[in-house]
Amino acid sequence: MSQTDFHYQKKELPASLSRLGIIIFVVGTVLSLLAFFVDQERAIFNYLVTYMMIVSIGLGSLFLIGLEYIAGADWSTPIRRIPEFFAMLLPVLLVLVIPLLVFNHDLFHWAHKEAVADDKILQGKAPYLNVTFFIVRTFVFIGLWSLFYWMMVRNSRKQDETKDQTLTKKNIRLGAIFIPVFALSITFTAIDFMMSLEPHWFSTIYGVYYFAGTVVASLAAITIAVLKLKEKGYFSPWMTDDHLFSLGALMFAFINFWAYIAFSQFMLIWYADLPEETFWYLIRWEGGWVFISILLMIVHFFVPYFALLTQPSKMNPKRLKFIAIWLLFAHLLDMFWLIMPNMGSMKNGYVFSWIDLVFPIAGTGLVILVFAFAAKKANLIPIGDPKLKRGIDFHL
Amino acid sequence: MHNDKKIYGIAATFKTPDEIINAAKKVSSAGYIQYDVNTPYPVHGMDAAMKIKPSKLGFVTLVMGLAGAALALLMMYYMMSVDYPMVIGGKPFFALPAFIPVTFELTVLLATLSTVGAMIALFFRLPDNQHPLHDTAYMKSVSGDKFGLVIEASDVKFDEKSVTDFLKSLHALNTEIIYYPEEVAYPIFQPKFIMFLIAISVVVSGGTYFMLNKLVYMTPFNWMMDQDKLTPQKPSELFADGRGMRTPVEGTVAQGFIPYPYKGQTNPTEVLANPFLPTKENIALGKAKYFTYCTPCHGDFADGDSRLRGQFPNPPTLHSKRARDFSDGMIYHIITNGQNVMPSYASQITRDERWAIVNYVRVLQRAKNASDADLIDMNKEAGSNVAN
Amino acid sequence: MNVDYSQEGPVVAGRLTLAQIEELVAKPMDTKPDKKYFIALSISLTALSIGAICLGLTFFYGVGLWGNNQPVGWAVDIVNFVFWVGIGHAGTLISAILFLLRQKWRTGIARFAEAMTIFAVMCAGIFPAVHTGRPWMDGYLFPYPNQHGLWVNFTSPLLWDVFAVSTYFTVSFVFWYVGLIPDFATLRDRTSSKIKKTIYSVFSLGWRHSNRHWTHYEKAYVLLAGFATPLVLSVHTIVSFDFAVSIIPGWHTTIFPPYFVAGAIFSGFAMVVTVLVFVRKIFDLQHIITLDHLEKMNKVILATGMMVGYAYAMEFFIAWYSGVSSETFVFINRALGPYAWAYWIMVSCNVIFPQFFWFKKIRRSIPIMMVIVILVNVGMWFERFVITVTSLNRDFLPSSWAYYTPTIFDLGILLGSFGLFFTLVILFTKSLPVVSISEVKAVADGAQPTHHRGEHHA
Repeated sequence: MSQTDFHYQKKELPASLSRLGIIIFVVGTVLSLLAFFVDQERAIFNYLVTYMMIVSIGLGSLFLIGLEYIAGADWSTPIRRIPEFFAMLLPVLLVLVIPLLVFNHDLFHWAHKEAVADDKILQGKAPYLNVTFFIVRTFVFIGLWSLFYWMMVRNSRKQDETKDQTLTKKNIRLGAIFIPVFALSITFTAIDFMMSLEPHWFSTIYGVYYFAGTVVASLAAITIAVLKLKEKGYFSPWMTDDHLFSLGALMFAFINFWAYIAFSQFMLIWYADLPEETFWYLIRWEGGWVFISILLMIVHFFVPYFALLTQPSKMNPKRLKFIAIWLLFAHLLDMFWLIMPNMGSMKNGYVFSWIDLVFPIAGTGLVILVFAFAAKKANLIPIGDPKLKRGIDFHL
Repeated sequence: MHNDKKIYGIAATFKTPDEIINAAKKVSSAGYIQYDVNTPYPVHGMDAAMKIKPSKLGFVTLVMGLAGAALALLMMYYMMSVDYPMVIGGKPFFALPAFIPVTFELTVLLATLSTVGAMIALFFRLPDNQHPLHDTAYMKSVSGDKFGLVIEASDVKFDEKSVTDFLKSLHALNTEIIYYPEEVAYPIFQPKFIMFLIAISVVVSGGTYFMLNKLVYMTPFNWMMDQDKLTPQKPSELFADGRGMRTPVEGTVAQGFIPYPYKGQTNPTEVLANPFLPTKENIALGKAKYFTYCTPCHGDFADGDSRLRGQFPNPPTLHSKRARDFSDGMIYHIITNGQNVMPSYASQITRDERWAIVNYVRVLQRAKNASDADLIDMNKEAGSNVAN
Repeated sequence: MNVDYSQEGPVVAGRLTLAQIEELVAKPMDTKPDKKYFIALSISLTALSIGAICLGLTFFYGVGLWGNNQPVGWAVDIVNFVFWVGIGHAGTLISAILFLLRQKWRTGIARFAEAMTIFAVMCAGIFPAVHTGRPWMDGYLFPYPNQHGLWVNFTSPLLWDVFAVSTYFTVSFVFWYVGLIPDFATLRDRTSSKIKKTIYSVFSLGWRHSNRHWTHYEKAYVLLAGFATPLVLSVHTIVSFDFAVSIIPGWHTTIFPPYFVAGAIFSGFAMVVTVLVFVRKIFDLQHIITLDHLEKMNKVILATGMMVGYAYAMEFFIAWYSGVSSETFVFINRALGPYAWAYWIMVSCNVIFPQFFWFKKIRRSIPIMMVIVILVNVGMWFERFVITVTSLNRDFLPSSWAYYTPTIFDLGILLGSFGLFFTLVILFTKSLPVVSISEVKAVADGAQPTHHRGEHHA
């Protein structure tokens, strides 16, 4: 194939995608609402699991966009629109977060005034862990993410028409500012929404742990979308194994990174054996939770590790797609493992309920819908990006 | 002039990477198998041009990496859980999380070393400084900035003339015929070499001997061995009598120790009374201690019928009239101080345990020498009237 | 300055030909060292011998010569160890991680950085070996039972260190040597001296630049890089475990592993920049080690500096958030206690000064860059000092609190380790190619075929 004749023709995504999204979303939402009437506490905890999953995909995608700009990567430029579409989930969070704030009393032990009154440690944390400051933080973070999303994606789309190189420069600057903002906001989001569910427990690596999972989840979502679009011919004929390899290799790297962070946290707490830390793991090593903990290690590390170990397996679209779906599930399990054992009635062991299954359905529908909506108005390839040609000609 | 030499192959050099890729493709499609391309750095796309299969080196790495992990875990399992198990920090003997760092390191170590070793020795067949290509003008140019191709004489299609023409047709800068070098004998048993080996072995063994047998006994390396403290069986230089261990001042009492003032053949009956009642627990304790310390001589039932019977002096029975008439204090005194050949048990048996033994001895004595009244009492308790 | 994003910047500046590259890199080995070289060498040898004397006295009189006291039982010896191991991380990072990330600019600096890794790990290895004052007892570190049949303790992080550092040294060395093989062959073929030729022949193993070998060689390089990457993370992770598995407030915190790794990369890059600035000037390698490379390294320094800052902030926040009073105390003591001076040196050198690298002008200005990277080196030494000493000097019993000051022998040994490092670096620059000849040739302009797309995976 020649290197010069690349002409982009906008090809709409099929309408069936939005239809599929709506159906899944509506079914999931109906079931989820039903769950709220059956067991409100369990439902809101499950809602939080799916909410964090959506944060992971949206925020991780925006992080990858920023990373591409500041690292000057070219291989990912042709597929940058995919994370841009996923990042549209970030403004949607402004609505999604409301149930969590409304039902904060069901979620957070520290939101109970009478509990804090008898608890010296919680009193000490009250300047940080109080409902007002919590709501302010939440909206500031989501606002910042939406702002960066809006600015970076606007520049990227404008470039499609103007082909103006200064827009790339602008986005590099935005990316450089976004990454530190991202690091702090994702850490405190993880602390607020997940670590503070068990307000007596603390771990300095927690933000990094959630970050590692976030990147895995967003890369998995991007890989699924890329492979689906490639199958349908949206990315032909230029997309090669080398692009897929890069995605696979990044996923592989971040699976390892996740395992490294998870092991570090566990190892240090296990070895030092301080009661104020170990109880968090003990809850997850008792009752039914021990099986979920072991399952998490296998699902989130061992299986994808060996599946992506060799070079050809990182390029094999079939395997890549399977592993990407697998990893989304793994991240969901990870969120479930982090969040659910903190629920009052679940501390003694895991008991299955259909409620655990319905929220991810609604989440999947929502992600598909947002993706389809975002893709409608934009080109699937950033045709004005100066790095596009280099990215298309990318070769290992 | 080289006509008497064996031809290794014919080499051609090219100027640009494009030309060498093109040449490699042509040579490959012309059906040559025994040929090689020499470039100062890896040229992209050359593997495809030469139709080289992907390297199988990864299998060595995988196998040896897994072997490294397994060996590391086995080693630590044997050392820490089997051969010398020890509780460290309250962790289990096989503390898996704590073994992961070393397992990882040994995996990496074994995998990388064997990958490089296998690559050099098995895949490359190096070191090989005798290869015909060495020291040729061809080698010098491909080591620098030219790109070269050799068609070897071992190829079935090799023919000096046709190959030369073929290479020239590919616009080679120049071609060169490469010959095998003359065989050079390397006599291993040269006197010089033998002397060299001997010298090395003398230095190494001498050095080792010096380090292990002399050096560690020199100052300051011996400071850990020769310390200013008394070791057993060594006279003290500080005290006139040469004893390191001093006798305590008269009347010194060790902490937690109650002195026992009676010695020898005395009978401290009046002052020593058994402080314990013969309760079930106390007798059980006495029985346990009796079985540990007393039965070896006096026998299980104090008949003096242990396996020492028949030796001189015979261990005495404790059921003699004399023994039965001993006061509790007297028995206690004998256990504490010893009697005749019986040693003192003061250091092995605590005071309370000695009194418990006394109680148990009383039980044995009464059981063996029960009076009629005892039997009646016993039967009353048992609810039968056999003895009547 | 406007950058054209549609073109990749050239890795080798000045449109050098392959022969010119080879000539430039091989020049230091072909010429006799000049006076300046000997002056530099004698300075570093002086430092080395001061260290050797201090060490010899330590062995003779014992570690009582050092400033360690109760409760500061771990002090400058472990600080130096962590400092040098940290510096040793940049080399493998540049050669392995940047290789996997396909950053071509690494070729110009990889060889030098790898050599620095090896030398730095050698410097680091001194301290665990001597810190007991009885280095001839180090044989007990091997898993071989002593006279009581007792094995080494595999649950101890200090033993993990033994395995980690020695594995790291071995693998780095092998990685470095594998990279050198083609260069030895090139040197062998261009030299006219018979002695040099024999030496190069032995080390080149008879390498023939054969493409059938390059195939395996490139594969091996990928595999080695794939192993070296987690290895480099594991080494500093295990070093951080030395502290973090304990229950001492200020040491026991879960962020230590990634925080130490980020700090190691940070200090290592700073050291590489420090040395490269001189090397490129002295040996005329400005076209191969370009200003662009230095700028990229400065960006990495900025990024890792902020990661380190993030870790400082998280430690403080969680110390407060945890509600554990001893934990809170340690951090207040760090910032406001007797070692506040060390703490604020650390924060300013590691977090504040690197922020200047946000400005492109400063990133590309050699003198300012020099000042900042040297400050980073200072700051990173103080970071280890702060972690070690301030967590110990005020422990749980106020009656045993004590102030620690290093003695002249502590500092002499530190100076000696710098002497060793720079002696090795100086010797290296004249005896081996400081830049990988074959790798730089491969990324020069016109070194690769113009159209190779689609043929690779035919």
